[in-house]
Amino acid sequence: MGLLSILRRLKQAPEQEVRLLLLGLDNAGKTTLLKQLAAEDTSYITPTQGFNIKSVQSSGFKLNVWDIGGQRKIRPYWKNYFENTDVLIYVIDSADRRRFEETSLELAELLEEEQLAAVPLLIFANKQDLMTATPASELAEGLNLHTIRDRMWQVQACSAVSAEGVQDGMTWVCRNIAVRKK
Amino acid sequence: MLGCIWQYVYTSFLRYWLKWLIRQATGTCELQRICSGYKPGATRTTKAEYSLRSSKNKALRGALDTNKDQLEQCVDQIMKVKNVKPQKDPLFKESLHVCLLQITGYNRLYISVEDLRKEVFSSENQEHEATLLKLWDLLMPDVKLESRITKQWGDIGFQGDDPKTDFRGMGMLGLINLVFFSENYTEEARQVLSHANHPKLGYSYAIVGINLTEMAYSLLKSGALKPHFYNTVLGTPELQHFHQLYCYLAYEFDKFWVAEEPESIMQFNQYREKFHDIVKMHLQDPDVSLTLTVRSKN
Repeated sequence: MGLLSILRRLKQAPEQEVRLLLLGLDNAGKTTLLKQLAAEDTSYITPTQGFNIKSVQSSGFKLNVWDIGGQRKIRPYWKNYFENTDVLIYVIDSADRRRFEETSLELAELLEEEQLAAVPLLIFANKQDLMTATPASELAEGLNLHTIRDRMWQVQACSAVSAEGVQDGMTWVCRNIAVRKK
Repeated sequence: MLGCIWQYVYTSFLRYWLKWLIRQATGTCELQRICSGYKPGATRTTKAEYSLRSSKNKALRGALDTNKDQLEQCVDQIMKVKNVKPQKDPLFKESLHVCLLQITGYNRLYISVEDLRKEVFSSENQEHEATLLKLWDLLMPDVKLESRITKQWGDIGFQGDDPKTDFRGMGMLGLINLVFFSENYTEEARQVLSHANHPKLGYSYAIVGINLTEMAYSLLKSGALKPHFYNTVLGTPELQHFHQLYCYLAYEFDKFWVAEEPESIMQFNQYREKFHDIVKMHLQDPDVSLTLTVRSKN
């Protein structure tokens, strides 16, 4: 490695900016997850009208996390946020069996989107702290995730409220950005 | 830096010498001068609060955390300590009493509001359910709710077919505020709802309302609402006064939103912040009074 390339690498040292997109149905726990990532208090959360954005430092990356409201009425706006997404994080309320079908349909539609083609996908099986939560493995089966072949994907059990599992998910995210950006 | 040093020197030494000097010259204590020098309201009560908080005397500092029914005793105690003769300053006792009702009442109001916020909406609780259905009837008197779980909830701005998950961090406080506005300002609430249901400029009435409850709650918690309550309630502020403040926010936010004509609902947080800044600016004014000025049924 020549001196020039070392200098060039040093110059690049300002961390890479990464765009993460948080999607999922309303009440899945996207904003709680966002606040947990930013180490903020999660006890006063209200439904998201529009979107929230926060920047978090992690493993040498600057993660710009976009949390978009999940209510049906604003789902048509989701596509305005697809561009340049590095990792898609899809959040599911594992205790809300009644809406598994709805969330599965929304996810399937997202995976068809051209702008999101080949974008790595992390699925947070959230609310594992609740007694009635479905285990992540069962959820993966129900969603037919094994049929996804066009991208890296991972299911991670977590509780955004207690932070359990969140860091494991983010580690996967950081590893897969590295692969993608090279 | 210099400001810091001055601040320190002033609060720890100069302030006391100055107070002592003025006391010798006028024969009145600081609290008396505050009560006679300012009209009832935020300026007087804020100054009295500061004076009591920075006092070296335990009885004076303790007055800030006294129960409502022991306040009169507490005022007598302060008058004794400060050697204030009722004959010489007949208005003082009542003035200080009102100030203390306002100061301690604000803290108690926060506790009551916090209790309501922590009360989680539960479908098993009949009272909660009845309150939710009441909200529908007040806002949509001509439309019958087809069932408890229905897409119709979207018509008054809840996210899905069961509103219970939308209350989240604000609990019953969010629902009670929504009902209070619809019940006491029915016409205004319906007018706001019709703006919210505008096909282009619209927003989700109920969840924006819950969001504004969060705004009112955090303003209360930070103490920012003190001047408002000190000016508008000459006594103990109660829960209904907090609900009234919510009504002001709900009505004014709608006016602001309609006037600003945002591009879409996705801009909500940006405009919410702008509105929040306006409210905080109003609260800097010592004469602030955030009251909804339309006729109320009450």
